[in-house]
Amino acid sequence: MFRRILANRMGLIGLMVIMANVVLIFVAPWVATHNPLQIDILHQAAPPSKAFLFGTDEFGRDIFSRVVYGARISLSISVLSVLAALLSGVIMGGISGYYGHWVDNIIMRCMDALMSFPAILLAIAIMAVLGAHEYNVVIALGTVYFPRFARLVRGSVLSVKEKEFVEAALAMGTSDLVIIFRHILPNCLAPLIVQVTASLAYAILAEAALSFLGLGAPPPAPSWGNILSDARNFMMYAPWMTVFPGVAITLSVLGFNLFGDALRDVLDPRLRT
Amino acid sequence: MIKYCVKRIIYLIPTLMLVAIMIFSLIHLIPGDPASVMLGADATEEDLNAIRQELGLEKPIATQFGLWLGKVIKGDFGISIQTKIPVMQSIKERFSVTLILTTLAMIFSLIIAIPSGIMAAVYQNSRKDYLFMLGSILGVSIPGFWLGLIALLVFSVKLGWFPSTGFVSISENVLEGFRYMILPSITLGLFMAAVVARMIRSSMLEVLRLEYVTHARAKGLSEWKVITKHALKTAFAPTLTTIGIQYGFLLGGAVVTETVFSLPGLGKYVVVSIYMRDYPVVQGCILFIAIVYCVANLVVDLLYSYFDPRVRYE
Repeated sequence: MFRRILANRMGLIGLMVIMANVVLIFVAPWVATHNPLQIDILHQAAPPSKAFLFGTDEFGRDIFSRVVYGARISLSISVLSVLAALLSGVIMGGISGYYGHWVDNIIMRCMDALMSFPAILLAIAIMAVLGAHEYNVVIALGTVYFPRFARLVRGSVLSVKEKEFVEAALAMGTSDLVIIFRHILPNCLAPLIVQVTASLAYAILAEAALSFLGLGAPPPAPSWGNILSDARNFMMYAPWMTVFPGVAITLSVLGFNLFGDALRDVLDPRLRT
Repeated sequence: MIKYCVKRIIYLIPTLMLVAIMIFSLIHLIPGDPASVMLGADATEEDLNAIRQELGLEKPIATQFGLWLGKVIKGDFGISIQTKIPVMQSIKERFSVTLILTTLAMIFSLIIAIPSGIMAAVYQNSRKDYLFMLGSILGVSIPGFWLGLIALLVFSVKLGWFPSTGFVSISENVLEGFRYMILPSITLGLFMAAVVARMIRSSMLEVLRLEYVTHARAKGLSEWKVITKHALKTAFAPTLTTIGIQYGFLLGGAVVTETVFSLPGLGKYVVVSIYMRDYPVVQGCILFIAIVYCVANLVVDLLYSYFDPRVRYE
């Protein structure tokens, strides 16, 4: 199966971008040329140069270093929120699909209600309540994405529930929990994985948007969205500030999208376009 | 058909109820006393009591919800703490801007998406198709607000083609207003264009293989007629659902786009109100946008059932 993913050129490029990002998270202290939080009044809003590869912001902080460290914040928040959404979605969807009847009804109505909000709006509302902090962003984005996972798992569970091997397991006296986790869930794996990669791409975009609005990781922490928000005030005098964080966001999301598409082609050919 | 419409509308009510409950509980989930949260740390005891009276914060939660719901149904979304203006009035003033923005964005995105999606399907696996796929993946990867910033930088600041600050409403002066709306609409619509384009391409690919298309070609119809009159109609129905879902993205994206371009719309109002801790406004606006989105989805579902009658009998 891996050979087929690798054979898809675009998917391979996507995977390499993702790996590069992951590596960057770990080697950030060695790649960054300066301390991302260090204020340098002598070099405020300086254009890109040998010393400051991407230029500096209004406090004189090196943008290259901030972008490099920004990968940590942006990616970790996205991964954690998708993980949270995945776990809660699997549990909710599993319970909903397996037990059916009124439990299913209530849970699905709640999921529908959550999905009635435009995603960013729901995230903003939750951040308004919880306050700007990294872990709150994880909660907010997790809440936004978990209905989609729940629906997916519920659908898979419903389709597998009536099959004979489940009946056999029930007849043998296997507990409900074991049936759900050992027999039913493995069937949802393919669409789940595809949904995970898609959600990771959206999560990075959403986290950047939240930070841009000032509702994400609080300053002075460098998140890609944060840096762009600062850059906005200096667009006329320091246009370089707007370019690089955006390129970083675009590349990361592109990586997940390319890899996700390749994964989907391999795992679920019915969805192939 | 009517029965289906009524059924769908009734189905909407419990969902809206849950939406209302969720929005109502937002304020009450904030840690701390709601009154001091809204007024800030240095509010006097009298101000706090006044707010508590006004919003009925002393009563049990179920009663509060009932009262709030009653007011909402009548169209009273409360009063802004900052400006003392009724929230509904502010919403009405600003929603027209957001509506124009999202509508223009949708129009732009469909203008780009439909032709390119059709072309990619017809010329599948050719160079054009490859470029299309590249373009569409890029379209969903670029953050909208960054695109807006870059567009502002290039077209307003450097080239001066479009204004970067200020605003003229389209209802006042169509041409001038349009100049202020072009950049925001295009940046907002790009994401949706990429998604819809891919959807159209995949639908068209499926439809073009069907028997009745071969039949149409065998009859001697020109390729153009085959594509537009026969294939496109069927391919369009599933795309409609995607468009409905994307409208939600447009509404959400409008929040960010309005902030980037400083447009006096509902989205920017929500964000500013959050900074100012004006929670009645935040509640009212989010409720309003959620209702708009639900209604839009309902319309899309009803339209879908018009195109594909099989759905009505489920």
